[in-house]
Amino acid sequence: MGLAMLGLADLQASTSKPHFAPKAKRVIHFFLNGGPSHVDTFDPKPALSRYEGKPLPSHRITERKTGAAFPSPFKFQRYGKSGIEVSEIFARTAQHIDDIAVIRSMQAQVPNHEPSLMLMNCGDSIQARPSMGAWLTYGLGSENQNLPGFVAMCPGGMPIKGAENWQSAFLPGAFQGTYVDSKHGDVDKLIENIRSPHADTQVQMKQLDLLRRINLAHQRERSDPRLEARIQSFELAFRMQSEATDAFDVSREPQHIRDLYGNGVHGRQTLIARRLLERGVRMVQLWHGAGQPWDNHADIEFNHRKLAGEIDQPIAALLHDLKQRGMLDETLVLWGGEFGRTPSVELAGGKSKLGRDHNHYGFSVWMAGGGIKGGTVHGSTDEFGFAAQDNPTSIHDLHATILHLLGIDHEHLTYRYAGRDFRLTDVYGDVIRPVVA
Amino acid sequence: MSPRTSLLIAVLIAASTASGDEGISHFESKVRPVLVKHCYECHSAASGKSKGGLRLDTREAIRTGGDSGPAVVPGDPSKSLLLSAIKHTDPDLEMPPNKPRLPTSIIADLETWIKSGAPDPRTSTTHPVERPPVDLESGRQFWSYRKPLMPADHSKGIDGFIRARLAEHQLKPAPEADRITLLRRLYLDLIGLPPTPEQAAAFSRDTYEATVDELLRSPRFGERWGKHWLDVARFAESNGRESNLTFPHAWRYRDYVIDAVNADIPFDRFITEQISGDLLPARNGVEHARLLTATGFLAIGAKGLNEQNKTQFAADVADEQLDAVTRAFTASSIACARCHDHKTDPFSMEDYYALTGIFKSTTTFYGNWIDSENNNHGHLIRLPDLPRQVIPGRSLPPDRVKQLKDQLARLNADEQEQNDYIAKAKAEGKDLSGEFHKLLSNALRILWTRGGVEGQLEAVDEQGRALPLCMGAKDASKISDSPLFERGEIAHPGKVVARGFPQVFDVSAPRPNKQSGRLELARWLTHRDHPLTARVMVNRIWHHLIGTGIVRTVDNFGFSGERPSHPELLDYLAVKFMDGGWSVKAMIKEIVMSQTYRQSSASHNAPGAIESDPDNRLLSHAHRRRLDAEVIRDSMLAVSGQLDVSRRPGSLVAELDGQSVSMIDFNTKLPSDLDGTTRRSVYLPVVRDHLPDVLEQFDAANPNLVTGARDVTNVPLQALYLMNGPFVQAQAKALAQRVMNEAPSASERLQRAFALCFNRAMDDREQALIETFFKSARGDDLARFTAICQSLLASAEFRFVD
Repeated sequence: MGLAMLGLADLQASTSKPHFAPKAKRVIHFFLNGGPSHVDTFDPKPALSRYEGKPLPSHRITERKTGAAFPSPFKFQRYGKSGIEVSEIFARTAQHIDDIAVIRSMQAQVPNHEPSLMLMNCGDSIQARPSMGAWLTYGLGSENQNLPGFVAMCPGGMPIKGAENWQSAFLPGAFQGTYVDSKHGDVDKLIENIRSPHADTQVQMKQLDLLRRINLAHQRERSDPRLEARIQSFELAFRMQSEATDAFDVSREPQHIRDLYGNGVHGRQTLIARRLLERGVRMVQLWHGAGQPWDNHADIEFNHRKLAGEIDQPIAALLHDLKQRGMLDETLVLWGGEFGRTPSVELAGGKSKLGRDHNHYGFSVWMAGGGIKGGTVHGSTDEFGFAAQDNPTSIHDLHATILHLLGIDHEHLTYRYAGRDFRLTDVYGDVIRPVVA
Repeated sequence: MSPRTSLLIAVLIAASTASGDEGISHFESKVRPVLVKHCYECHSAASGKSKGGLRLDTREAIRTGGDSGPAVVPGDPSKSLLLSAIKHTDPDLEMPPNKPRLPTSIIADLETWIKSGAPDPRTSTTHPVERPPVDLESGRQFWSYRKPLMPADHSKGIDGFIRARLAEHQLKPAPEADRITLLRRLYLDLIGLPPTPEQAAAFSRDTYEATVDELLRSPRFGERWGKHWLDVARFAESNGRESNLTFPHAWRYRDYVIDAVNADIPFDRFITEQISGDLLPARNGVEHARLLTATGFLAIGAKGLNEQNKTQFAADVADEQLDAVTRAFTASSIACARCHDHKTDPFSMEDYYALTGIFKSTTTFYGNWIDSENNNHGHLIRLPDLPRQVIPGRSLPPDRVKQLKDQLARLNADEQEQNDYIAKAKAEGKDLSGEFHKLLSNALRILWTRGGVEGQLEAVDEQGRALPLCMGAKDASKISDSPLFERGEIAHPGKVVARGFPQVFDVSAPRPNKQSGRLELARWLTHRDHPLTARVMVNRIWHHLIGTGIVRTVDNFGFSGERPSHPELLDYLAVKFMDGGWSVKAMIKEIVMSQTYRQSSASHNAPGAIESDPDNRLLSHAHRRRLDAEVIRDSMLAVSGQLDVSRRPGSLVAELDGQSVSMIDFNTKLPSDLDGTTRRSVYLPVVRDHLPDVLEQFDAANPNLVTGARDVTNVPLQALYLMNGPFVQAQAKALAQRVMNEAPSASERLQRAFALCFNRAMDDREQALIETFFKSARGDDLARFTAICQSLLASAEFRFVD
């Protein structure tokens, strides 16, 4: 029908073939920007109590000054058949621990937010590289031609580094993440100008066809891939009109589902995410909020409890909801920040702030769903949680594993730029086999 | 040098120096292959990587080492980290990473080589990696902290520098762009509006220079280039952050910038006015008002208004000002040295607190009064009364002034009463804990109500007439140096640091003395010997005209920033800028008159040749650029005939009720896209976190940050704006009406639309396309022309400058 007239078939590549049979088809990433503390969430360290108020025997250099051991103010408890210990602030998420693989030995490269955000999202601390979502949509295409393949939601404004977190860099512009400010509840505010003023889509379709032809003529005289991306963005925008109003409208969910996720902004954005995933969006990234909310240098007890309280219910709801819909097997859920936090207390002028500094030496992330061996703990930090000890795991390893679960050999998903083949994992990365089912 | 050529040179050198010498031959046969195979991937110029600050591809680099120390100490295997790394003796340093240990024979070969003095024929072909300075001296050697000198050979100007580098890479410059492309580029770059068909018809290559001069004289120039500066100045009309309160007087600074740019106030003077206008002599009231308004630069930043601790608040305001000044004028992140010495640049905490003293000796006037969101009353500066002055504030009836004054007196009395009550209870040892809630609510009622009353009274005179007010800065009543606060914490003052300037700069300007030191700071920044100020500004100008900076990280000239692609050109421009009296217009003219600026955006090199310069850093052709948000909107208004070029008196923000931005969404008087005008975009309200749609969608600068280079994204939401946004639809309709009025036949109307939008004729194929559309589309003529016009406005050609 009319869509063919818009030249869709050949433009935004529809589903591309993976390298081997995928375990997961899509990814949802809870990004706890700012750096959640692993020793207060998924990596209990009772030894810290023994040293409370005393210097740790193995102290690492931290960005700011930190002092004595700072035991977690939160209670840990075993959950599920696997008996993995989880902090009380993620008690609801912990109900699903047997579906979760916790990696406790992650390492980043530096204790600074900006490079670590770039590393976690794009696989390189310094150089501008495509984000994982861009690689995934490049590699696998989109399963839904009417929605962007990669959506990043963040309520109230952008995280640090803004759109660079979901950039396409040298990949074609069509693969960059589409940012949605999820603070709004109303669909017209969530996606501005989503409603066509034309009662008849035929009218607009004809007009867009004219626009496409004008653009193609313009492009023929210039070899600029950005023009191609611009043409595609119109076609996608046109198609979004038919589907996005529905996909982003959580009021179409039954009340009990909305109650399950909760009424807050995080409940809503998580539920929107599920609706997007259900409709074939390849990757959804859910940021906690503008700036770096999890960066709790002070009063971690109050701040982490509050932040976790905002997302624990939505995360648990999502895991439950995906499972009951039979979607969890095909959806990879990723949880984590750009790094963790120190087991020693942050000092200011020699005084404790009851918070923790950045820690790139060791921290936790977890994954659940598509192809993940639930109830697993992989790797460990030292006795106090300062640095990765067993099976140190790099972000490249994490990326390699995610690609693997999606049926992609990370060494073979490449893009030629500046005379060289680039990969998400650069020249590194080993699939973390023990977490793969 | 491209990785490819440097590798080639390394190979050539290797071939020429591998001699019969036994040590060298051992290196060539046993060592070099190992390094190339296992190490170069992450530690070489060819790979563009120096992980851990380490490169292993030259003799110099391998001996200098990286973050952890020298990789090779000739003759001493025990001190050579390369060896311990490949031996895996230190669990934190195992190389190659995540791979099994290298075979013992290889390790033995390397050990033998080091023992024998590590003979190494690999002379340095490029500079070793620049390392963060450990001391001031090495910092002073860094390129951006050395003062710019006019390169010996500069007779061929800009084009000479560009072409020399192209020739080195066997690349040809592109020929000059065609006449119309060039004209559009010039208009859109200089005034942010497309040329009219009549202007295009009158233009020829012979009138190029005259056209440049005319555009530089146009009042539209200041609106375009003033906006570039407003991005850098993090200009906004609200506070942002948690307490997003409006700045109803910020627009005066906006107008000051536009006027200063139009008047081509020398850039050194422009800096001085913004940092210290209040301390400069003024000949008359007009100039006095202008200079006070200029200091708005220091006042428009985001503040933590709900901070309860006054000392902390003052420290944070000073920090924000220090950060804005040093980033805007020197592209440096000195504010990073608040809590610890700078991690990568040669700035110490002493440097930071020397500057802080200057801003702490300054009072900032930003206007917000105390209420539930604000604990820090900002006050405003009263401007001299001038004829034809714009005063958007509302006047009050005289009896309302009296009412407010009475209310203020009552509130003060209430406060006295409560304080007396509490004092009495305390004296009597009475327990007030049961009344705590009541007393607190009463105190807050007094505090918050009084804030609003005081705020209203400050904006009017005794008769209730609205006063001319501005945001800005003045010297504080107490001038003092700042202590160095340990870890940046106000609770831990250390030694006092005399007000002054960062040590790394070798600039002999007078230090602050009796005044705050802002005037001395301005004199220091604009001193001939300052290595950054002129370089940073000419680079900003270059970025806007060429599409990329000579230093691409336009806001970061430090160690973590990029190095200049053409260092001599940058110095040439910087020196010329200063020698030419810091004239921004003269610098713009110098650049746009160059062939480099005028060349076509189509490369005339073989595709293989360009691959060595994929980002076109060498400028073998012009960068094709997407227009800025403001230019997209203004161009639509221009071609539709709706553009109102008059200046908006005041600002929409000045007309809002109350001071909190959170009310915006509920204010039915406001257009939902915060637009609703046909004036130029520079006059749209800049409310932090609430930018008008068109600015938000097309990557306008985030006014929370000093922004010299905006992002350029391409997402479907932009397409939705162009397809469905009410503004674009209105312009499409206006354009359709315009061409229907101006031309009689359908084909002439379409030709007119093409001429207005693209300054070119519609070609036959386009005509056929549109005619087909016209015949098949529904609706009356206006509806069909509107649909066509919208397609033109939404087209890539409209939004790109070639």
